Amino acid sequence: MIAIRTVFIACIALAPLCAQELKLPANLDRLASKASEVVDVTLDANLLQLASRFLSDKNPDDAQVKKVISGLKGIYVRSFEFEKAGEYSESDVEPLRTQLHTPAWSRIVGVRSTKSSENSEVFVKTEGGKIGGLAILVTEPKQLTIVSIEGSIDPDQLSILGGQFGIPKFETDSKRKDNGHGKDQ
Amino acid sequence: MTFAEVLRANQSMVFSLAFHFLRDPGAAEEVAQDVFLRLHQKFDELEGSKHATFWLRKATSRRSIDYLRKRGSRSAISLDDIAEPSIAEQPGDPLLNRRLRQLIATLPEKPRMVMVLRYQEDLMPEEISDVLEMPVRTVKSHLQRSLAMLREKIDRSMGDIR
Amino acid sequence: MEDFEQQLRNALARKEQPPTFEAKVFAAVAAQRSGRSIFWRWATEVAAVLVIASGFWMGYQHELQQRAAGEAAKARLEVALKITVTELSKIQKTVRTSTEDE
Repeated sequence: MIAIRTVFIACIALAPLCAQELKLPANLDRLASKASEVVDVTLDANLLQLASRFLSDKNPDDAQVKKVISGLKGIYVRSFEFEKAGEYSESDVEPLRTQLHTPAWSRIVGVRSTKSSENSEVFVKTEGGKIGGLAILVTEPKQLTIVSIEGSIDPDQLSILGGQFGIPKFETDSKRKDNGHGKDQ
Repeated sequence: MTFAEVLRANQSMVFSLAFHFLRDPGAAEEVAQDVFLRLHQKFDELEGSKHATFWLRKATSRRSIDYLRKRGSRSAISLDDIAEPSIAEQPGDPLLNRRLRQLIATLPEKPRMVMVLRYQEDLMPEEISDVLEMPVRTVKSHLQRSLAMLREKIDRSMGDIR
Repeated sequence: MEDFEQQLRNALARKEQPPTFEAKVFAAVAAQRSGRSIFWRWATEVAAVLVIASGFWMGYQHELQQRAAGEAAKARLEVALKITVTELSKIQKTVRTSTEDE
């Protein structure tokens, strides 16, 4: 069974020390005019700090989010939903893939569904032996989602957010073991 | 009670009713100002703060519907649809909130106002019936149908991300 | 259904009027009292708004803007985290399903 946490650790041990910041392709902006729904979130270090000031330490949910983002330098999300297939192509995503195939990045999960033509990939960046970034790339015929998180991130901290703010539960395998879960959620 | 007291106590309610109905901050401000100007003219006829609030809800509903009819079915692009979400006070899922507001804006005028009065002001159907001078069973029918339509469209459009 | 109704309440939570709203209403009322023409009412309205806005409201607006910016950043953070965890959850589910089928 693939254990995401185990793979995270393996990547830290094996990846080289050099690191690169992920640059979202500029041509993604023109996809917005073709999309029926767009989610465009850009939170650099300053905005993350600003958001953190409005998270209350007294509220347990807010406190958890504060913990997750405490080591982050940026969160970038671009998600496009299209009315029909074919509104974007692989060439739109190619500049991003090129960056994700450099030595600093490691692909830890790749899932392809021939039925729905959905392709989902998770990449991790390592810096000085620690996780310095996370990238998620999901391509479907009518949807394209890119998530880039820069900075130190702990997958267990992310999983704790499950169940809050309407976020679905997501357990890393270490959490599943602790909770005694033996089957899918 | 003074006019200033009534204004301060109710300006948020009036503006917000008009805004959620018209989805246009400029139009909402214009309607809200007109309503308070009318209130000032009728101030001596009011019988207390509760009556003033009821009067304001009624006037805002009527004025908003009139405004929409004059403007036609063309819906203005609201700033909070395209700019940074100015949702300082709003709890819950911002994506879902936005989608719900968009869907409510597609309802015909009477059901739309019924929904706004119900869920912004937490009015019961009987109270909405008084404000809009509409039979209670019509109010309930609008609520039922609108909820069913919204629920179905939300389930379809949001899918797993909810 | 209760949960959906709460979501509707969240979506239709009251939206605050602009900071100059009150001043404009008072200016319009004052113009109405004096029985002036529409032009004078408009001029009085603009003058009242300018006088008030140039002084007293500056600090208040700045504070409102800061608060709005902070809350907006927090809301966008929630959206970003939600999408991240949702996608990871979907991927993990697919991986588990396919490995259990083997």
